[in-house]
Amino acid sequence: MIWQQLLNGLTLGSTYALIALGYTMVYGIIQLINFAHGEIYMIGAFVGLFLVVNTGLNIGVALLGAMAFCMVLGMLVELIAYRPLRGRASRLSGIISAIGVSIFLSTLMVLIAQTNTRRYPDIINIQTFQVGDLQVSSLQIIILVVATLLMVGLQLLVQKTRVGKAMRACSQDLDAAYLMGINVNRIISFTFAIGSALAAAGGVMVGIYYNAVWPYMGTMAGLKAFAAAILGGIGSIPGAMIGGITLGVLEILGVAYLSSSYKDAIAFGILILVLIIRPQGIMGQKITKKV
Amino acid sequence: MDALISQYIDPYYLRILMLIGINIILALGLNLITGVTGQLSMGHAGFMSIGAYTSAIFSMQMGSPFFLSLLAGAMVAAFFGFLIGIPTLRLEGDYLAMVTIGFAEIIRVFFLNFEPGGKAVGLSGIPQNTTFVLVWTLVIIVIILNAKLLNSRIGRAFYAIRENEIAAEASGINSTRLKVLAFTAGSFLAGLGGGLYAHYMYFIRPQDFAFMKSIELLNMVVLGGMGSIPGTVLGSVILTLLPEMLRVVAEYRLMFYGALLVILMIFRPNGLLGDVRVYDLKKKLQGKKVGLWQSSN
Amino acid sequence: MRFRGKAGWALLVCFLMVLSVMAGCGGKSKDTIKLGFLGATTGSVANYGIPGQKGMKMAIEEVNKNGGVLGKQLEGIYLDNKGDSSEIALITDKYINRDKVVALVGDPCTGLTKIAAKIAQGNKVVIFSAGATGTGVVEIGDYVFRNTLLDMFAVPSVVDWMINTKDWKNIAVITSLNNDYSVSLTPVFKDAIDKQGGKIVIEESINDEETDFTAQITNIKKAKPDVLVFTGYYREAALLMNEAKKQGLDISLIGGDGLYGQDLANLGGKAVEEKVIFYCGFSFSGDESNPVTEKFLADYKAKYNEEPDMFSAQYYDAVMILAKAMEDANSADPSVFKDELAKLKDYPGVSGNTTFRADREPIKSPICLITVKDGKLTLLDKIPLNIE
Repeated sequence: MIWQQLLNGLTLGSTYALIALGYTMVYGIIQLINFAHGEIYMIGAFVGLFLVVNTGLNIGVALLGAMAFCMVLGMLVELIAYRPLRGRASRLSGIISAIGVSIFLSTLMVLIAQTNTRRYPDIINIQTFQVGDLQVSSLQIIILVVATLLMVGLQLLVQKTRVGKAMRACSQDLDAAYLMGINVNRIISFTFAIGSALAAAGGVMVGIYYNAVWPYMGTMAGLKAFAAAILGGIGSIPGAMIGGITLGVLEILGVAYLSSSYKDAIAFGILILVLIIRPQGIMGQKITKKV
Repeated sequence: MDALISQYIDPYYLRILMLIGINIILALGLNLITGVTGQLSMGHAGFMSIGAYTSAIFSMQMGSPFFLSLLAGAMVAAFFGFLIGIPTLRLEGDYLAMVTIGFAEIIRVFFLNFEPGGKAVGLSGIPQNTTFVLVWTLVIIVIILNAKLLNSRIGRAFYAIRENEIAAEASGINSTRLKVLAFTAGSFLAGLGGGLYAHYMYFIRPQDFAFMKSIELLNMVVLGGMGSIPGTVLGSVILTLLPEMLRVVAEYRLMFYGALLVILMIFRPNGLLGDVRVYDLKKKLQGKKVGLWQSSN
Repeated sequence: MRFRGKAGWALLVCFLMVLSVMAGCGGKSKDTIKLGFLGATTGSVANYGIPGQKGMKMAIEEVNKNGGVLGKQLEGIYLDNKGDSSEIALITDKYINRDKVVALVGDPCTGLTKIAAKIAQGNKVVIFSAGATGTGVVEIGDYVFRNTLLDMFAVPSVVDWMINTKDWKNIAVITSLNNDYSVSLTPVFKDAIDKQGGKIVIEESINDEETDFTAQITNIKKAKPDVLVFTGYYREAALLMNEAKKQGLDISLIGGDGLYGQDLANLGGKAVEEKVIFYCGFSFSGDESNPVTEKFLADYKAKYNEEPDMFSAQYYDAVMILAKAMEDANSADPSVFKDELAKLKDYPGVSGNTTFRADREPIKSPICLITVKDGKLTLLDKIPLNIE
């Protein structure tokens, strides 16, 4: 049974990881906790649903469509709500602005789509494979594969390309990067676009996996993803993946072997313990403070 | 006194004023932790719930007098604030924020499973002892004490920690002790506010103290101006009034609310009264030249 | 920078002034009888407030079309409380003191109803909750009423049907931990199961607003129950059944009237088809014996182009019952018509036949068992209510 539960945790965790990646990327560059990120994920899920149901597109195309839509949305949010604050305000002002965006977007979605939970049609013919005691559904495999592909792709983008290099430079020192001739604003915009696209992918996949999307799904998912990013070491891309999967597995194992009533308390309790032992998260680097 | 007030003020306004008062106490507590000392806490509602439940249970099951219940709630909250203050010695910034969120969530889940508190059904029948005069007397006392504290050696040390912890330590400030102190004092106020809330509302439930409540309080502190007492008071007033005033736009209410948060932050990036201290206001009143608006920029 | 700051201030002040002025000039006094709506139309519990609001609006229109009450028109006032404790208290104060309502209709949630009821009782205004099922509501005072099927009466009959008719003896109980309806229904079920010789093989809990129930279902699968009892609302029930289907767990789910919502079928699809069975004081379809319900169903569909749910029916009934009580008492004064309200007997409402006991608790009989068939909520069986 433990393998079954681990697989459940892995699937849940990889959706957390996809959202956490966006958090961590934005954080790495401008040290902003982007609370609107959960809402982008929600809108991604709805756009995917709209494309599948109303235009009858193939799910793969719908996934790309949702990602493209959220790319633009993410860039727009950055342009309107965060850029005017940059350099003029404390980090916390950015957080409040993000909360404002989050409330705005979720209410907007309620006005468009009402508060009902919508069903994602069964797009993929689900098959179940029996491996010993373990039941693996084709859906779980697809989610794991797509999540892994996106994560590997992101890692390649950041490590191997010119843009990635610029992103890394920005995350080390924004001012220095600017002096080196990097168009910092464009890089930040790009980061938001990539992060939002990943969140949208997460949203669509969660929609397919659980057959349900609704306008308030972003808040809790955003919180969990933030926890995952912190657990892995905020600002670190591999950290977000590990953090997401760890959190998912912890939650599921908490239900499986301890108590479902205390599920969240168990997950957060372990998270706090980890942070007390390793204050910079699992993969985070210890930064020596200077005066 | 209370009878007199309720004769002349519409109950609806009276309730808004009461909620503003309670929110000011809560937000001033958070201001000590986040605004003044710079330790980002996103779990203030957790401490509030501890105060609310403790005082309610004291009043209802032990029949203790109101003031004792309030004090008990505040003390228990302060104790937990002290406990959570300890990890802050090692953690900073957003890692600390996560620990406070996690702590508040654990508290919420605890109360969801807490039989004497009625679980999700909540606790009803709490004696309604909180009065207008009491709340606003406490608000004034808290503001005065806060202003005195921030103007003292300890208060200046708090600001120093926020501005630069290492430099503060180098100047002989024991930042460890002071950070824990800020957490304890802030949680005490949260517990006090929670107790007042419980004895005002007649009914409390774990969902009242969820993550969004913490965020609302954080909004008040940041929107008003980090570390500024007049700012925090103004922030609490505005953010308590705003949802009620926005009722004119009916179903677009929360959309406007969200948009306004963004707009206000864009126009006043350091909060409405960023770092305006009571001390500066006094000087201004005395005709000395301390710019009210320049200081924020 | 300085200019910008000042401009910001000016903007803010202007905005606030405009708003407060606008807020001040609302509520022109007309000669109408006013009812205040309590419920959320935004936020995570809006799913239960919005249909209620629709039901209430429809009832008021219908009353007005038929000449109103005591020669006056009814007027509904609708403010959103977001499911928030402070907001419902503020709204209640506003309704009572500004709008001078004679009665409040709502809230769907027990806890929030208690806050409003305490204020209404103090101001001598009737409050008629169309959804609060928990304990300690009508005990607040003689102005407090509710119109729901009380679980403590219905559950023993349902459990009896489950164990003796269906022979489902090994039972898994699932509670939604942050839902007050669910938390207060679970002990009622457990009590009845214990008394009637059923066996609870596993207890699990979930939370409203969550979507991942994989671990709980895997746990339940291991315990091999005959049937699931879920005490929460339709959204989570549908998602639980979806997950059960995915994991190959072929099992029925029993629940309370919180499952009454077309979304159960929309969201659950094939997974809930003839698998989810719940009890309710009424049924919209498959029950030709009740013309009131049939008419309501047709009207509602014509007006809103969707299926009504439990809350729309109960809010609708609440308005109708209030109107009737005012007519009977020949007065729109809450302190007068509340006595007439308390005498209500066998009222043939949309949400079943309602009688108020001496302690103002509602009794509805018989109980309908409802299931999902071809994507529609359909009457499965009727069982008599045994009240001691």
